[in-house]
Amino acid sequence: MDRALKGRLEARFGAMLAGPIRQRHDETEMRIGPGDVTEVLRALHDEPDFRFEMLSDLAGVDTGDHMQVVYHLWSDSTADWLRVIADGLSREDPRAPSATFLWKGAEWMEREAYDMFGITFEGNRDLRRIYMPPDYTSFPLRKDFLLPDDAARSPGGGVRHMERGHAPASRAEGSDAPDTIRRLGA
Amino acid sequence: MTAPSRTGPQPSADDPRVMLDRDIGVFEPVPPYPPRTEREAEFYTLGDGQMLLNMGPQHPSTHGVLRVVLKLDGEKVVDLDPVLGYLHRGVEKLCENADYHQVISQVDPLEYISSLFCEWSPVIAFEKLLDVDVPRRAEYIRVLSGELNRIASHALFMGWFALDLGGLTPILWSFIERDEIVEMLAALTGQRMLFNYFRIGGVNGDLNHEFMSRLGDWMSRATKQIESNLTLLNQNEIFVRRARGLGVIDTAGALRMCMTGPNLRATGVPFDVRRAHPYSVYPELDFDVPTRTEGDSLARYLLRMEEIKQSIRIIDQCLHQMPDGPIMAKLPRLLRPRPGRAYAAIEGPRGQYSTYAISDGTDQPFRMRIHDPSFIHLQSVGVLMQNNLIADTMAIMASLDPVMGGVDK
Repeated sequence: MDRALKGRLEARFGAMLAGPIRQRHDETEMRIGPGDVTEVLRALHDEPDFRFEMLSDLAGVDTGDHMQVVYHLWSDSTADWLRVIADGLSREDPRAPSATFLWKGAEWMEREAYDMFGITFEGNRDLRRIYMPPDYTSFPLRKDFLLPDDAARSPGGGVRHMERGHAPASRAEGSDAPDTIRRLGA
Repeated sequence: MTAPSRTGPQPSADDPRVMLDRDIGVFEPVPPYPPRTEREAEFYTLGDGQMLLNMGPQHPSTHGVLRVVLKLDGEKVVDLDPVLGYLHRGVEKLCENADYHQVISQVDPLEYISSLFCEWSPVIAFEKLLDVDVPRRAEYIRVLSGELNRIASHALFMGWFALDLGGLTPILWSFIERDEIVEMLAALTGQRMLFNYFRIGGVNGDLNHEFMSRLGDWMSRATKQIESNLTLLNQNEIFVRRARGLGVIDTAGALRMCMTGPNLRATGVPFDVRRAHPYSVYPELDFDVPTRTEGDSLARYLLRMEEIKQSIRIIDQCLHQMPDGPIMAKLPRLLRPRPGRAYAAIEGPRGQYSTYAISDGTDQPFRMRIHDPSFIHLQSVGVLMQNNLIADTMAIMASLDPVMGGVDK
């Protein structure tokens, strides 16, 4: 854990932080709102005391309540991975700015996040589906997309059916919304 | 040009206009819908004298199932659009619906050439979630088997690359090397390709007699054997002239494309996760991170060959420093890590593999993100390809060494 990095981040981004900076093992984690992503990433990339020049990973996350975009950055100025979480994207219309202005290589990672979660990256020139066919309409990694044989988590302990006609008796007369989706606690 | 009417006189069967009559199918390069993005509109708008050519998805040198739409001006490639998804299995979703131990067998087939590295990064991420200390002997066994797998992968790369440039002999030679290592790892893990060997907290089995005797046998002549294999290509003027200056990318461009591994080091950046962000027992081992400055296909090839020698050095040290002791940490059968997040990255033969795992306190990962270097490198083919010939497309792609199993997840 790089304690000095925590201090530097707090001093630089104080008001923009949407939560406390957390550190565990070799990772430092900061949360920001989706509106600040451009400014924070640019500062981390360009400023000589940070020099986070490598985007190691860009991932979408569905917590069950809202969406996140998670960036992992590497710099030679610290021994930690820096995790930047753009938190609190709405599940109905998740939008975040694109990171392609700094890393062109983020383009496909954003396409993947769009394909899997439906997150719209504003400024990405090529935001179309990358794995699923163009006429596909679902977002498979969202938590309300249930696998037909996802038996492990079913409240009845049986097979959880996606089709209404085959729904088990406990759900048959309810709405077509899934009964429980996995949610991530705070 | 209009399609001939069905009622009028039928054109002869070899009239090209007959083809316009049929429905647009999967293999039509032009999408049958209005362009969805700026880039797609730009790509599928043809300039004067330009044409589209479809390569794949079943092409012998795409290293898997990949379709590339090439935009050509004469024989020059102006731009290209890779179309992925033919091998997509939804591994991340499967992992979210499997328990922590089952994840290892789910991620195995991602990079089928070097499966141990696919297992390695999730295993480290889960160990971080669980706060487990891995026994030192297990760490050494991981490094030993991992470096062997790296050599097997690079040896195969040599053959593939030469094959895509039109040489048939090197792949026969490189399979000799790869086969010996694969047999060795089969003796250790029980499998030839999808090893399923690493476990959360250690490895599945200790070193055994057959593995050690095969390894000792191979190590006694490995360096010499590899040197002699290299003379096949390194001194081949046709190969060297063809690969030199092909698909050049500079340092800034490579960082901008998020490249890692040998492809980044070939542009002069000494970024190797084993040194840049050490994991396992790599800090205790002595090896160099070779770099080159040219950034072309030849540099990427030579760099990988240099890495084989470094891997042999690491294996030699592992064998001398291998401690005694247990190979598994004591863990319950059903793992329920505390809620939290962990990120782990490792240096694979193709670059940085990483895993971002989120636990919600249950026995299944809440989210598991797998980052694969092949995916990132395939993206930069578009940048490297500008104004090269069609014949060089596959050569440049091969020099980046992507594996489609990892690209499509």
